[in-house]
Amino acid sequence: MPRLLKRIHGDWQICDVAETPWIAQDEWRAGSALQVSVDAEPSTEWLDASSIAIDFPAMTDGRGLSLAVLLRNRLGYRGELVARGSVHQDIVHFLARCGFDAIELPDEERLETALKWINPHTGYYQPSVISSESTLTSAN
Amino acid sequence: MYQYNEFDRNFVNQRVAHYRDQTERYLQGDLSEDEFLQLRLRNGLYVQRLAPMLRVAIPYGTLSSQQLRALASISNDFDRGYGHLSTRQNMQFNWPALEDVPDILQALADVDMHAIQTSGSCIRNVTTDQFAGAAADEEIDPRPFCELLRQWSTSHPEFEWLPRKFKIAVTGATFDRAAIGVHDIGIRMSGSSEQPEDALADIYAGGGLGRTPVLGALIREQLPVKHLLTYTEAIMRVYNRYGRRDNKYKARIKILVRALTAEGFKAQVDEEWAAINHEQGAVPAAELSRLSAFFAPPSFAELDNASELLGTQRLENPAFNRWMKHNVHPHRVSGYSVVTLSTKATGMPPGDVSSDQMDAVASWANSYGFGEIRISHEQNFVLPHIPQDKLYALWQQADAIGLGHFNAGLISDMICCPGGDYCSLANAKSLPVAEAIQRRFADYDYQHDLGSLDLNISGCMNACGHHHVGHIGILGVDKKGQEFYQISLGGHAGHSGEAPRLGQIIGPSVAREEVCDVIEKVIQVYLGLRFEGETFLSCFNRIGILPFKESIYAKAA
Ligand code: SF4
Repeated sequence: MPRLLKRIHGDWQICDVAETPWIAQDEWRAGSALQVSVDAEPSTEWLDASSIAIDFPAMTDGRGLSLAVLLRNRLGYRGELVARGSVHQDIVHFLARCGFDAIELPDEERLETALKWINPHTGYYQPSVISSESTLTSAN
Repeated sequence: MYQYNEFDRNFVNQRVAHYRDQTERYLQGDLSEDEFLQLRLRNGLYVQRLAPMLRVAIPYGTLSSQQLRALASISNDFDRGYGHLSTRQNMQFNWPALEDVPDILQALADVDMHAIQTSGSCIRNVTTDQFAGAAADEEIDPRPFCELLRQWSTSHPEFEWLPRKFKIAVTGATFDRAAIGVHDIGIRMSGSSEQPEDALADIYAGGGLGRTPVLGALIREQLPVKHLLTYTEAIMRVYNRYGRRDNKYKARIKILVRALTAEGFKAQVDEEWAAINHEQGAVPAAELSRLSAFFAPPSFAELDNASELLGTQRLENPAFNRWMKHNVHPHRVSGYSVVTLSTKATGMPPGDVSSDQMDAVASWANSYGFGEIRISHEQNFVLPHIPQDKLYALWQQADAIGLGHFNAGLISDMICCPGGDYCSLANAKSLPVAEAIQRRFADYDYQHDLGSLDLNISGCMNACGHHHVGHIGILGVDKKGQEFYQISLGGHAGHSGEAPRLGQIIGPSVAREEVCDVIEKVIQVYLGLRFEGETFLSCFNRIGILPFKESIYAKAA
């Protein structure tokens, strides 16, 4: 059973979950669990997905962050959004703030560290997908 | 200048805590070299040819005397008693131990400083005019907007993992000392510092030096400043999603802008911006006033210009006279001047400053100049607000410890990257070339006769020494394993109120021993063909590159 980091009612936890039958974009059908690559163009059809995963090809590839922001803020996707692939435990706080609510790591042993650093700051300068609080803008 | 509040302090302290934990995990073997690389870069730590190098952010080149003192102690406690002023207004330490870096970062945090995002593919320290808030030609103080961008870009959740590094520069003066045309984003502010909420921004994108030098394209005119962050967000999102990641030499935003054309890029950014709720994301007027208040002018005394006193002092001391001529610049308030303290003593690596010098600059800033210090991209210290009747005393003290050189803006005040002596990316050394040129042109009358001349040296294509925009540019290249130097002429960073321009290469590169002779020939052509009072750059504009080529590559008869 895969273990991952999940945000449940605003709290991050390590959870065991059932294996998800991810399908690729070219096999898309409504109601399925869709896995997309970081360079995908978001589509309103995906609002009908049971879950969406973004597959990070490398720790340093920030495209998945922008894609997550678009899914959440532009498309208004409210379902589960999973980060998979080469996800690093020290950058999970960026993922969380871009609207991911589930994070898989290549190495489950690092989940504890990821959980420890899921929110390294008590406050941030910018508003984000999960918080409108910001010292700089009128979003709040 | 900007003062941290509880929020800012917590932020940097928490960042240090996270990095300390990362360092410990790395040292225990829990993080691989590659994983740690990405994390340490974003906290300022490079591993260089000889040792780690820590780059400390000096936000838009502004520093308090207390902060400069802290940098001096850090250089004593953790380094070899000196630091290096970089061309991006930062300070670099060349010899810290990797294990000590968390403690250094804590020492920085204790004086409201950090090294966040000073390297790595993320938004770097925002740079600006080193004379901001003091320059006579300033329309609006750029620093509040720099601070706004600094805060916004710090740990931005979406833009920390870009295709490549990203540099933003802002100016608010007629004379563009920030070189906004050669930055990923260049911002020209207009309006007045009294009404910051009414300020407007012209936005340039896609400029940059490096191996494909290009000038930024104007993609948005007169943007109301409240939209500065959302518009920047739109640019960053387009770049983050579509910038190339397959080839690091093609990953800068300039390549994307070129591929889409400036119009195409602008259209895409505008479309993205239209889709952002930019009223919700607007910066409130109250926040702009809050930030601007930090940069209100210090309490200047009502002084008259000290022309008579200075006249006598200049007559009495020719060295002071030279310094006044080159290193002292007009201030917007009568009775005050802006002073450049040059780090370019012959034989010293440009930009290197000892801890004693740092302490001294800090104490002069306290006794004469409201405790404020700037670092210029020409790698010098600037004291922005010095009463004119204190100039002589300041100069005497500066001269006593090697900071009183008269060469600001002259050929020996060159911009020079650390090059092959320190940097692992270098093709060739740059410091010995700088020194040789300084020695060749050491004579004051000669230098003075040459007048204002920017000579810039980079040890490789990365162009940290801004060679493309030097009136004379020197670039280290590798020719079959040998160090060679390519020379270009006629570049400028837009200083003279015109758009910046990149230099033209004069011909085949030359060996190190020949560099000085080539420069000398270039100078001779200029001296021979110039009109009365014509600067090197205007002479070049008139006569073009040909006479220089002919003189340098003339076949021996
Ligand atoms: S220009 Fe090249 S050699 Fe010089 S500091 Fe930059 S990367 Fe190093």
